[in-house]
Amino acid sequence: MEKKHSGIKSLAPYAYITPITIILVTFVLGSVIISIALGFTKYNIMTEPVFSGLDNYRRLMSDSKFMKALKNTLELVVIIVPLQTVSGILVSAFLVANRKKILGKLANCIVFIPVLCADAVAGVVWREFLNGKLPAVEQFFGLFGVDPSMLLGDSGKALVVVGLVAVWKYMGYYVVIYSSGLLSISGACYEAAKVDGAGRLRCFFSITLPMLKPMIILAVFLSLTNSLRCFDLIFNLTGGGPNNATTTLVLYAYTSCFGSSKAGYAMAISNMLFTVVLVIALMQKMLMRRDVSEI
Amino acid sequence: MKAAKAIRNGLDSILLIGIIAVNIVPFVYMFLMSFKSTINAHDFDFSPDKLSLQQYGKIFAMEHFGRYIFNSVFVAAAGVVLTLAVCALAGYAFAKMDFRGNDRLFLFLVLTMIVPSEVIVVPLFLITKSFGWLNTFRALILPLPTAFGVFIMRQAILDIPQDLIHAAKIDGCGNIGTFFKVVIPMVKSSVLALSIFTFVGAWNNFIWPLVACTKEEMKTLPLALSLMKTQFNTDVGLTMACAVVNFLPPFLFYICMQSRFKEGIALSGIKG
Repeated sequence: MEKKHSGIKSLAPYAYITPITIILVTFVLGSVIISIALGFTKYNIMTEPVFSGLDNYRRLMSDSKFMKALKNTLELVVIIVPLQTVSGILVSAFLVANRKKILGKLANCIVFIPVLCADAVAGVVWREFLNGKLPAVEQFFGLFGVDPSMLLGDSGKALVVVGLVAVWKYMGYYVVIYSSGLLSISGACYEAAKVDGAGRLRCFFSITLPMLKPMIILAVFLSLTNSLRCFDLIFNLTGGGPNNATTTLVLYAYTSCFGSSKAGYAMAISNMLFTVVLVIALMQKMLMRRDVSEI
Repeated sequence: MKAAKAIRNGLDSILLIGIIAVNIVPFVYMFLMSFKSTINAHDFDFSPDKLSLQQYGKIFAMEHFGRYIFNSVFVAAAGVVLTLAVCALAGYAFAKMDFRGNDRLFLFLVLTMIVPSEVIVVPLFLITKSFGWLNTFRALILPLPTAFGVFIMRQAILDIPQDLIHAAKIDGCGNIGTFFKVVIPMVKSSVLALSIFTFVGAWNNFIWPLVACTKEEMKTLPLALSLMKTQFNTDVGLTMACAVVNFLPPFLFYICMQSRFKEGIALSGIKG
């Protein structure tokens, strides 16, 4: 890192970093500390918190709603992450291959539109779209023997639909990440492979995928964390229903606090989720470091 | 050989059209439905004479709708200004100034990026409440800047040659003068990317305004849309008109500066 002594040791740098430090210490660090501390209390916002030790966590273990929320959260991750990864890689590879065509350029531009629209908008529009009794939509889903208006109301299918909408919504985001990796692979690699007689598929598996590995690791971890955090989309698509079939940990924490005023309990739920996110972040750090040292 | 190539080209085109359709159809639906009047919303006749601006007239006549728009614009704009100010200053200090604890403080700030905003809504609500800030702009704007902004600005400013900054100092520029006259003009593209990223993030923000604002006149557009869905469940056109108003600003920005936009949004992934 390039840093030279300016000679003048002053308080100026501290003054420059103070505003953002105050903001992050107050809102982020403060929140984490409060969440950990009040996770050990019974607190309903109206009255003072009462220390209750591990009570909240013990109750979580026997709370069937919590277990269902945990199961839904993990199921959602299992639905979203593989689909998002595979579709992201395939679509970006396809778009990069077709980047010189007008249609390819157009598609490359359009896949990003769902990403920039608010999750709330996507949730509401998909909800109306599926329930809208639109003849074309009904016919399209009819091809697969599915009635679209029943999808979000069916507790067996709602979570899958939520997962698919999430994959749809963020595909463009992952396409951008993968495309930047794909474009950095030099054309010489492919030409050499062609000379050696490798076909399109062989090139994909022997050149594209290995070269894309750092990007794939990055995107998988992003997808993992993002699917664990998902709230806006679910809130607007199903509101957690039907019969809690799409209630995830974030939604359950939200309703525990703002629906039934169990703030201490809600923070215990959030702390569990945060622990999972932390473990994932640590795994990512370790994996990425190893990957870098390999190169 | 030629025929095979033509067939493959054709298949590629069909696939491309498929990708385009999947990504655009729900939005086309949203636009079309927003131009339908309430009575014949479900006849799915989209001939020009059946379309009207009636729904837009209705939402703009709604009490508070102007206020929702103002809130959204104000929060997003103020969020951009605040984020740029605090992040660029801190990024400059971390990149080009030598002070005790530089690296350790930076690491601490960056570590706060691990905390997902969804995980801390409840404690953040309690903090805001204890300040007496519920239903204020302060509550909506002040938590917007993140360590990510500092990270981006620091990366950009690190690339500026130290000699340029020395030259400015020799010419009699103070720290602040150097910052505005030399540093900021050289990292314009990062400033723009961070602005877009922050604007869209704040504009689309949902869970925090949902928690922090209970009063009607403090709600932002995504909240209004979300609540509309329950209030006017039967009136698809009205809901879709509101969705269009919500969707248009980020969309128009995107049309105007595509590559910057992608960079701004995708930046968030390529951190750390």
